[in-house]
Amino acid sequence: MPRVLIVEDDPAFRARYAAMLANDPSFEVVASVGTGGEGLAMLDLSKPDILLVDLGLPDVSGIEVIRHASRTLPQCECMVVTVFGDEEHVLASIEAGAAGYLLKDASEESFLSGIRELMNGGSPISPIIARRLLRRFHADSPGENIAVDKATDETSSVALSDREREILLLASKGFNYPEMGKLMGISPHTVTSHVKKIYRKLQVHSRGEAVFEANRMGLIRTL
Amino acid sequence: MAKQYLKRIAWVLSARFNVLMSLHRRCASILFASVMATAGLSHSQTLPLARASATPPAPASASAPQPTLKTAPASHTVAVINGGIELAQAEFALTGEIRPPGADTAWQTVTLPDSWRKLPRDRSRLGWYRLRFELASAPENPQAIYIARITNNIALYINGVLLGVSGNLKSREMSWNLAQLFVVPPRMLNAGRNEILIRLHPDGMARAGLARVHIGEEAEVRALHDRRLLFQSTAPKFIAALLALTMMLSIALWASRRQETVFGFFALLCLATIARLWHTFARDIDSWGWVIAAPSISWMMATQTYFVLRFCGQTSPRFERFTALFAVASTLILGFSSSASVVAVLFMFNTAVSLVMLAILGRALTRVPKLENLTLLLAIVINFSLAIHDLINYDERFDFDTLYVLPLGGPLLLFAMAILLIRRFVDVMQQHESLNAELASRVRDREQELAHSYERLRVLDQQRTTAEERQRLMRDMHDGIGSHLMSTLALTRLGSLSQHDMQEVLADCIDELKITIDSLEPVESDLLVVLGNLRYRLEPRLQAAGISLEWAVSDLPPLAYLDPGNVRSVLRIVQEAFTNTLKHAHARRITLSTGVDYSNARVFVRVTDDGVGLDSSKPPGRGLDNMKNRATKLHGSVECLSLKGGGTCVNLYLPMAKIA
Repeated sequence: MPRVLIVEDDPAFRARYAAMLANDPSFEVVASVGTGGEGLAMLDLSKPDILLVDLGLPDVSGIEVIRHASRTLPQCECMVVTVFGDEEHVLASIEAGAAGYLLKDASEESFLSGIRELMNGGSPISPIIARRLLRRFHADSPGENIAVDKATDETSSVALSDREREILLLASKGFNYPEMGKLMGISPHTVTSHVKKIYRKLQVHSRGEAVFEANRMGLIRTL
Repeated sequence: MAKQYLKRIAWVLSARFNVLMSLHRRCASILFASVMATAGLSHSQTLPLARASATPPAPASASAPQPTLKTAPASHTVAVINGGIELAQAEFALTGEIRPPGADTAWQTVTLPDSWRKLPRDRSRLGWYRLRFELASAPENPQAIYIARITNNIALYINGVLLGVSGNLKSREMSWNLAQLFVVPPRMLNAGRNEILIRLHPDGMARAGLARVHIGEEAEVRALHDRRLLFQSTAPKFIAALLALTMMLSIALWASRRQETVFGFFALLCLATIARLWHTFARDIDSWGWVIAAPSISWMMATQTYFVLRFCGQTSPRFERFTALFAVASTLILGFSSSASVVAVLFMFNTAVSLVMLAILGRALTRVPKLENLTLLLAIVINFSLAIHDLINYDERFDFDTLYVLPLGGPLLLFAMAILLIRRFVDVMQQHESLNAELASRVRDREQELAHSYERLRVLDQQRTTAEERQRLMRDMHDGIGSHLMSTLALTRLGSLSQHDMQEVLADCIDELKITIDSLEPVESDLLVVLGNLRYRLEPRLQAAGISLEWAVSDLPPLAYLDPGNVRSVLRIVQEAFTNTLKHAHARRITLSTGVDYSNARVFVRVTDDGVGLDSSKPPGRGLDNMKNRATKLHGSVECLSLKGGGTCVNLYLPMAKIA
């Protein structure tokens, strides 16, 4: 039974999530806390399978909590709960290691199904985010690579495959996973696994960018 | 022994001196005397040497040939010159015949150089000079006779045989300035007495004269002749060539810079000077040549006045006109009359005018004491002195064969001109460099200014964009979510709102907010991204309502006008179509498709459902009006159709081109 940690500073939402999860016998809520500090402590203490985290925490940023979780608990699925699912927040969360996001105003059914989907590797992707990702990866296509020296290996491993690029293109046009699968002649499940790979590449990619930036600014002398 | 040695030095010195400075015999003898004085010899002691009645001392070099020329004591006065002899005395007779005079002729002893100028001789007759000298032995090598100046032409006989002529004897054409050399075959000379007979033809101006006659080893006498020729004719010829070249350059300069008349007048001055120089190296000058040669000094003065005044940036129009008129007048006068007195008067007048010119030009040149002005002034003063010298020489106050020196002064003007040109060139280069530097700094300043103003513009533009965006957001909040929330609040206060309705209204508000947020994302003219995102937002609600959505979009051309405001309008229209279907159609299935209507240059977004269709009994609601208004603002249109067999079709048409 997946054990869930809720980190949300709004008590109403915190209570709602807890209630929704409590209604479903397939989840167990190990803790629901209101600050980032508590969240970090509970992560170390309870080692949950699922982290539901709000980004706008009063003390530590939700991004920090996600980063800590993905570093110390690789098998823990981090999910961001956002108001709008806007690109800035979502992309920052994915870069930090989140598997996907849920919308705060989602109905109970779609909230729970969203969690299940995320656990099965079905990260959602909105057309705008798909478009953003296309732009970002495109900027790193060979020849105009931002990374240097040893970072090159990493960036080449995070370049998009043709399939992934096609998926992002279709996603940016508003097609959902089953439609994409039909258009590309693959199963929807394969599409979701591609999306997950894209997210992971974004994570590595952003790390590469960070290394490159740090290198450029002289923060790192040797890699 | 020491005396002998000093004598030899004195002889060598005097010989050298005579060769190099034969122009001024008087100066030479003064210097000669001073050299002698230095050597501790009295003046009288040098005389026998000069007369050379005895054998001259052996030359210093053993390779030099022993002179074979000697003079008999009864012969004319001679001087020994560098291995030859200089005949300074002759016998003179005047006849009308071109044949040598007969034995009954009365010969009169004269000293050479002999000028007729101050003597009452008939210029229409021919003058005969007989020069006798004795040789110890017949010479083995060719000998030569050299005469520094003849006026006008001569025929020369040796021992009764005509050896040569100096020019054309048939006319009265003139060859004043050519030093003459006659080569004498050794066989023509005998041991003992020899006789040179010279027939002299006076020139057209009735001037006549003969310089001293040198005879000796050809090589040595030729050297004397060549040196004289160099100063008298060859150097002026070179100077004329130099001036001709400079004239061309000046003309070229003036042609490309017409406002710089100084170059034009310099070219004219060069031309006048060339005209003046020409007679120093020309042979057999005829009367036309005379019209050029004689007045050219006035032309030089006139052009020099124009040139110098422009050179130093001054003007003196009256004097300029005067010199020009004077040049024309003297040309006319000398063209009509070539009598010596007219020439003399004109030359005196010339001198007077040139004195005035010197004063005017001197004042003009010293007004601004620049190097080139002072150089030019110096050149003019020197040339003036040379001209005075030549004027006196022309009047034969010096020896008849004294060199005319004004022709050698030409390069001085060139020198001044060269300094001017160099100065100007350097000035221009420096100006050019400083201008370039200034230009560069001005360009830099300008660039900075531009960068500043560009930055200002950018900031302003940003502020404007931000302000516009804020305004649009404000409008959006006001018309959309704001009014939504207000009406919800009002309904709540009335207590007429069920919890379900309340949820629906709040969900609407959040949708509104999401549309606003999504519209802020730059979509780069891609309508499909906009529609896709709307689908993404609406899908949960459609699913909740049990409606399936078919997504049948095809690629669209980029719509450049899709800014956040226009994106919101499109989103609202399409959302309205969906909302209507959700609320009223009772549909099971909605299809959204896109396409291009190329014939009308527009794209369309089509939303069809399989619901109940439009109720034709009721007038169209406010929702449709709103959609149509929004579409009109986008320069597009909306149509709402009932489909056969049930269902509704909403078509949104948008222009492909940019909208105003």
